[in-house]
Amino acid sequence: MRDRLIHRLTSFSVDHPRLVIGLTLVITLAFGLQLPKMTTDTDPKHMLPITSPVRQYNDQVEREFGLHADNLVVGIVNERGVVNSETLSHIAELTRRIQKIPGVVVRDVTSFTTIDNVTVESGSLAVRPLLGEVPASSGELGALRRALLENPLLRNRVISQDTKATAIYVPLEPSANGREIADRIRQMLPKGSSGDQYFLAGDPIARDTFGYEMFQQMALFSPVAGMVMCVALWFMFRSLSVVVANMAVAMISIIWAMGLFIGLGFPVHIMSSMSPVFLMAIATDSVHIFNEFYFRYGEVSNKRRAVLETMTAVGRPVVLSDLTTAAGFASLAAGPIIPVRVFGLLVGFGTLVILLMSFTLVPAILILMREDRIAAAAQRELSRSASGSPLLAKLGRLCVRHAKPVVLAGCALLVVAGVGLARLHVNNNMVHWFKPESEIRVADRVLNRHLGGTSIGYIVVRGAGQNAMHDPGMLRSIESLQRELEKDPVAGKTHSVVDFVKRINRVLHNDDPAFERVPDSAAEIAQYLFLFSMAAKPSDLNNVVDYPFQSANVMVQLKSWDAGVMRGVLDRAHAHLAANPLPGGTTLRPAGIAYFNLVWNDEVLWGMVTSFLSGLVIVLILLVLETRSLRWGVVCFVPLFFTIAVIYGMVGLAGKDFDMPVAVLSTLSLGLAIDFAVHFVVRFQQHYTTHSNLNDSLVWTVARPGKGIFRNAVLFALGFVVMVFAHLTPYITVGVLMAAIMLLSSISSIVFLPALIRIFDKRLLKGVTL
Amino acid sequence: MSTRIVFALIAGLCPAAMYAQDKLTAAEIIDRAQAAYYSPGSDMKARVVMELINADGKKRTRVLTMLRKSIPGGREQRYFLYFHEPGDVRRTAFLVWKYPEKDDDRWIFIPAVNMTRRIAARDSRSSFVGSDFSYEDVSGRDVGADSHALLREERLGDSSCYVVQSTPKAAADFSRKLSWIDKTSWLPLKEEYYDAQNQLARLFTAGKVETIDAGGKTYPTVVKRTMKNVQSGHRTEVVFESITYDVGIAADVFTERSLQQAPEKWIR
Repeated sequence: MRDRLIHRLTSFSVDHPRLVIGLTLVITLAFGLQLPKMTTDTDPKHMLPITSPVRQYNDQVEREFGLHADNLVVGIVNERGVVNSETLSHIAELTRRIQKIPGVVVRDVTSFTTIDNVTVESGSLAVRPLLGEVPASSGELGALRRALLENPLLRNRVISQDTKATAIYVPLEPSANGREIADRIRQMLPKGSSGDQYFLAGDPIARDTFGYEMFQQMALFSPVAGMVMCVALWFMFRSLSVVVANMAVAMISIIWAMGLFIGLGFPVHIMSSMSPVFLMAIATDSVHIFNEFYFRYGEVSNKRRAVLETMTAVGRPVVLSDLTTAAGFASLAAGPIIPVRVFGLLVGFGTLVILLMSFTLVPAILILMREDRIAAAAQRELSRSASGSPLLAKLGRLCVRHAKPVVLAGCALLVVAGVGLARLHVNNNMVHWFKPESEIRVADRVLNRHLGGTSIGYIVVRGAGQNAMHDPGMLRSIESLQRELEKDPVAGKTHSVVDFVKRINRVLHNDDPAFERVPDSAAEIAQYLFLFSMAAKPSDLNNVVDYPFQSANVMVQLKSWDAGVMRGVLDRAHAHLAANPLPGGTTLRPAGIAYFNLVWNDEVLWGMVTSFLSGLVIVLILLVLETRSLRWGVVCFVPLFFTIAVIYGMVGLAGKDFDMPVAVLSTLSLGLAIDFAVHFVVRFQQHYTTHSNLNDSLVWTVARPGKGIFRNAVLFALGFVVMVFAHLTPYITVGVLMAAIMLLSSISSIVFLPALIRIFDKRLLKGVTL
Repeated sequence: MSTRIVFALIAGLCPAAMYAQDKLTAAEIIDRAQAAYYSPGSDMKARVVMELINADGKKRTRVLTMLRKSIPGGREQRYFLYFHEPGDVRRTAFLVWKYPEKDDDRWIFIPAVNMTRRIAARDSRSSFVGSDFSYEDVSGRDVGADSHALLREERLGDSSCYVVQSTPKAAADFSRKLSWIDKTSWLPLKEEYYDAQNQLARLFTAGKVETIDAGGKTYPTVVKRTMKNVQSGHRTEVVFESITYDVGIAADVFTERSLQQAPEKWIR
């Protein structure tokens, strides 16, 4: 039934090539008209739906404490110290100008000129911005330096221990774009100023810059990958028609798939922006058609017959491998992550388009090719060897003869890979998606060296009832928790309501350091906080304690964006509290960007793993169904399994983190790496049915369709390997690993399949003799 | 000499000026509004219920007695605030001596440690007891600190209003303010504060105006007012209860001594 459909499609296309090409162009134009409607979404956080519990709880904590999810940090470093008149005036001016940028939360920008300082001045209690007017005299500057350093509320937050660094903290509205705001701030930075260096850091810059650059790099690398593939195709076949046909198939599938999804109203997310490269790579599947076509033409010397016979020969493996690829991608829709689902369906659909083109457009182009050119090319192919590549034939004979050692060697490699897999370290760090020398990484390093940390996590301590945070016992527990957390080298600074209470106590008692402690009565604490609220910015208190004084927010500044860092902080908190429990009925809950990243990381990674495992199962089921045999299905599956185990084992052995890009990659490699085994097995079965000599058929399959497999793998690898020149590390990772996966899966198909079939010939070949 | 006195002199000398009311300058309108809103009568006593409501709908309530006395012959004012609630801050008291065109003097009494402290008050734009009102919103801002422009006259609900735009001469926490001032009561019924990005930041609304009789005189008074931070969603609702004017509060009530020994007669 299916074979008949393929045959009718092919013969129709061969008989009416111009009609087929024209029709294809019209449909492509229709899909193409949807492309200008494209909208983009560059936020990796949108991988989690708004309804996910961590997002909702984080939103709730932020609302409760008047906090902001996204914060930029502008660091100012001066080797001579930042407390000098010139730098201070720059800070004042810069703060004022930053507050005017749309998207910046004006009221909560924190710098020397906006942060409240609680002091005592000639018997008067003063709560006011640290820096009012820029002092000119060295006496006043000295006083300011002392005021900064002796106040724990300011130290390591707005001033470094050595006074060489300060920061402006810039909270953003949820809708604001971190990269655009960072660009505007960069334009405002004073130029050629006396030794001041400026650094911009923070998750929103990394995230939005990444999203933006990802699109840019895609726009650059998709055509480059395409061009590299064209050049390689030309060297392989020396035929412009082949290059054109291949690229036409790729472009058409991209336009149809992107057009369909854009037309349906999906924004192009980071994930789906990668689909052109993937579709281009998948389209190289048609290499099998050209590979076979030239051999056939050499044999029959009739263009029409050669096309029809080629399509009959490669039709089944092409259908089978494209269907498995499509299913592998479509299985991503089973996972929980929406952009991954969209990407999976989009590439799945594109693959089906490629499949359709293989039986319509490709034969139509083949039939329109000039006969003399084909003859010349076919001659070249045949002059090398009618039965395929001699080198590959040699390899095939080797594998057939030494089947057992080959399989044993494979098993040994799998054991090594297993060791590596056990060492895989799951982590994610968005800042590390940029190269170490990139501006973002440098800024992050410098700021984390000088100040408390560019990332932040919250630990919300919720007491049993109202006014729990007026209890001296509670505040002392929180204080000891803070001291414990600060022992963690990545936790540069902690900050809570306790710090305010202690500060006010000291200042009220004429700045006597002996009073820098939690007072002994609840009334004192309540009245100190009340007093503070009478003078300070409301956000000072609101950020650290909730309205009924039931919950306190302990803010922990972190010097690393590693997702695992927050886990370490929480483990430390729980261990400490097990020995030093909080007052009865108190609960602890984490929140903040660091915690969000931790959960996001876990959920997205787990989502990827789920998609990957379901993909593996679906591919296996499809293979079994298509080969109508459990054994053949499993044999086809072996090279894929081997490839994935070895590649990820190597990632583990190399000590590279299993991070988001690697996880995404695993799900993608699936539908692609299976193709080679499918081609090999189906072509072998066809040959064995007609020739019934096992060894000859195996060697022929390695040599002739094997050449197509290699050409396909090399094309594929070339398309991805250009990404090594990208300046975002995930692209480099994807490029290198994808190329490695393709080459390894083609080699393992050609090496292990003949060996395995040789070893298990009796059980496998029972059903094949037709 | 303040513009208000100049205006009063002109008005007194020349009755015809009264009927040329619509020729008032913007500054004069603001000046009259401030007088009507901040300093009616020679003194005032009220019980104030202030609710601080955050974006989540959670509330903090403060209940206090407010005593105010105008010092004759100028715009100097004295405030005495005594907190009844929340319970753990009861007896906290707050004294403000407000001077025109000069920093206030402020003192606070903290009962738990039986201590009175002066509070430096350089920034009068800072929040008043954690509310969305600033000190200036509670006790008035110098008319000369802003330049004023009469934008238009329009109706707001049932009232006919002047709409005046005030732009601070020195940097402040707002870039401009629009005030809707009722032509009959001279009370501000609505105010919009814009931030450095010229976005609406805070919104004042007079929820309810009552006319209070005091020994034959009448004082239109905003008895319910709301200040909302439209960006954070936080708002403060203030209700004035049992308002009395011209009751003869003695000057020694507004001293440091009475912070510790609150005058029982007045704060009840």
